[in-house]
Amino acid sequence: MSDIVVVEGLMKRYGDVEAVRGISFRIRKGEVFGLLGPNGAGKTTTIHVIATLLRPTAGRVAVAGHDVAREAAEVRKRIGIVFQDPSLDTALTAYENMYIHGLLYGLGGEELKKRIRELLEFVELREHANRLVRNFSGGMRRRLEVARALLHRPELLILDEPTIGLDPHTRARIWDYIREVQRAEGMTILLTTHYMDEAEELCDRIAIMDRGRIMAEGTAEELKSLIGSDVIIARFDRPACFRDPPIKECRELPDGRVEMVVENAAKALPQLFDAARASGLRIVEVSYRRPTLNEVFLHLTGRELRDSPSSTTRPPAFMARRR
Amino acid sequence: MVMGFARAFGVMVYRQLKRFVKARGRLVMTLAQPIIWIVFFGVGMGSVFSFSNPVAESFIKQVFGGLDYMTYLTTGVVGMTVFLGSFISGITVLWDKQFGFLKETLVAPAPRSAIILGRSFGDTLVVLLQAAIIALVAKAVAPSINLAGLPAALAYGLILGMGLASAGIVISLRMTTPESFQVVMNFVMMPLMFLSGVFYPLDRLPLWAKAIATANPLTYAVDGVRYWLTGASAYGPLKDLVILSAISAVFIALSVWEFRRATLD
Repeated sequence: MSDIVVVEGLMKRYGDVEAVRGISFRIRKGEVFGLLGPNGAGKTTTIHVIATLLRPTAGRVAVAGHDVAREAAEVRKRIGIVFQDPSLDTALTAYENMYIHGLLYGLGGEELKKRIRELLEFVELREHANRLVRNFSGGMRRRLEVARALLHRPELLILDEPTIGLDPHTRARIWDYIREVQRAEGMTILLTTHYMDEAEELCDRIAIMDRGRIMAEGTAEELKSLIGSDVIIARFDRPACFRDPPIKECRELPDGRVEMVVENAAKALPQLFDAARASGLRIVEVSYRRPTLNEVFLHLTGRELRDSPSSTTRPPAFMARRR
Repeated sequence: MVMGFARAFGVMVYRQLKRFVKARGRLVMTLAQPIIWIVFFGVGMGSVFSFSNPVAESFIKQVFGGLDYMTYLTTGVVGMTVFLGSFISGITVLWDKQFGFLKETLVAPAPRSAIILGRSFGDTLVVLLQAAIIALVAKAVAPSINLAGLPAALAYGLILGMGLASAGIVISLRMTTPESFQVVMNFVMMPLMFLSGVFYPLDRLPLWAKAIATANPLTYAVDGVRYWLTGASAYGPLKDLVILSAISAVFIALSVWEFRRATLD
């Protein structure tokens, strides 16, 4: 069986609010699967259902062949989860948090102690093992939670916004841990994020989620190829759209700008300028980019996603780039 | 399954005891209140009820089940310590809810019933330690107390503690804000504390007050504890045991039921 998570027609309603509106996806064994979307897209609700903490309103969710509603105990054995909000016992030490978790998951004895030492080493908290978690920084707590979630060697590791609220340095460390766990243990990882660079950096496959629905799914490359090669974003002094070659597709965005898909923006831009002048339009602003997941998201939903704060790996969104 | 249950139960007992050891300051805090009652209330009321006239003296003893007031009060305070302490410990589930540890226990593959019962039991053990200390304090101010009865008295405390810790858990699982905790403390716990026979006998109370006292688990715990520490009892230790156990069992069952179906909804 190669699909470790199967989600079919999942719906979750809170009172009148439909948080998740009938989504389906599958996660293959050994891959890093990302749910990418803005806050409120329904990502956390989705993983809480997968983690047996919420009952689905409709649809079927199975982890390693076990239904999350009917065989919760079997599912719980197989998953490790890092919640978006901390779930540590702050009155106890890092070591005690790990130890209690291990006992709750049926581990014990020397093996448990050894595994705790290894994992605290792995997340670089070994020398803080006997300090109270109350005195830990946000980054240290997140690292401890990652170590704790790995303790019982879950088949599926679930990370809800693993780097939200962390400084760039800690973020890079968490990314390293995730890659390392995946490489060394071949663990399946499901993560949610609203940072597109995080999704692109870590995930083998990504499902883009917005307002309770999955808008598209695939590798980062596959998602980008939904758009074509380059994207020109322009604002004219009045609403207008060009559809003549080399422009393959054109549509107006909700904020008044116009999105045009072209093969090669460097060559298409002069032609666009000519066409605009010929139609008596003034170009107020123009930029072009190779498509990133942000353009894909914009294309699918009409709104923008953003990069991690103070990320240095990429220029900020909407800055024209040369090739 | 049995192994899994025993294990998870043990882990939670361990966690609650660990937390207690880490927060030793809390012991002083929780002991302060009963000691204040004994010293400042007991000394004052004790002096009101003590007479040099032997007729008056024997009349007072008759009112308080054959005991002098200090003995009557302090044995009651032992029960009260368990009552308040275990309820407050159950309420701390609310803190686990707020600081997230509750989620950690909800995704654990261990039996939910074991987790919640282990938690109540661990907290009750801590409370019984406090009650034992209060009993020693009581002995110091009321020398006629018989400490040989303490283990039996603490058994009543264990049953009361499990019941009240469970009641606290049920309330905090249903409660959405910590403010409602104050409401429950002031409008439920305080009246029950007074209508229980800790401070005064119940037999001359008006009917409505008697009705409340009859349904109050603390009434039977206090009477049972007092019996084992002094020999004086209003209902008899067996009746105390049966009714106290029945009330506690209801709360314990409710807490297991609530926790088993708990989700993040």
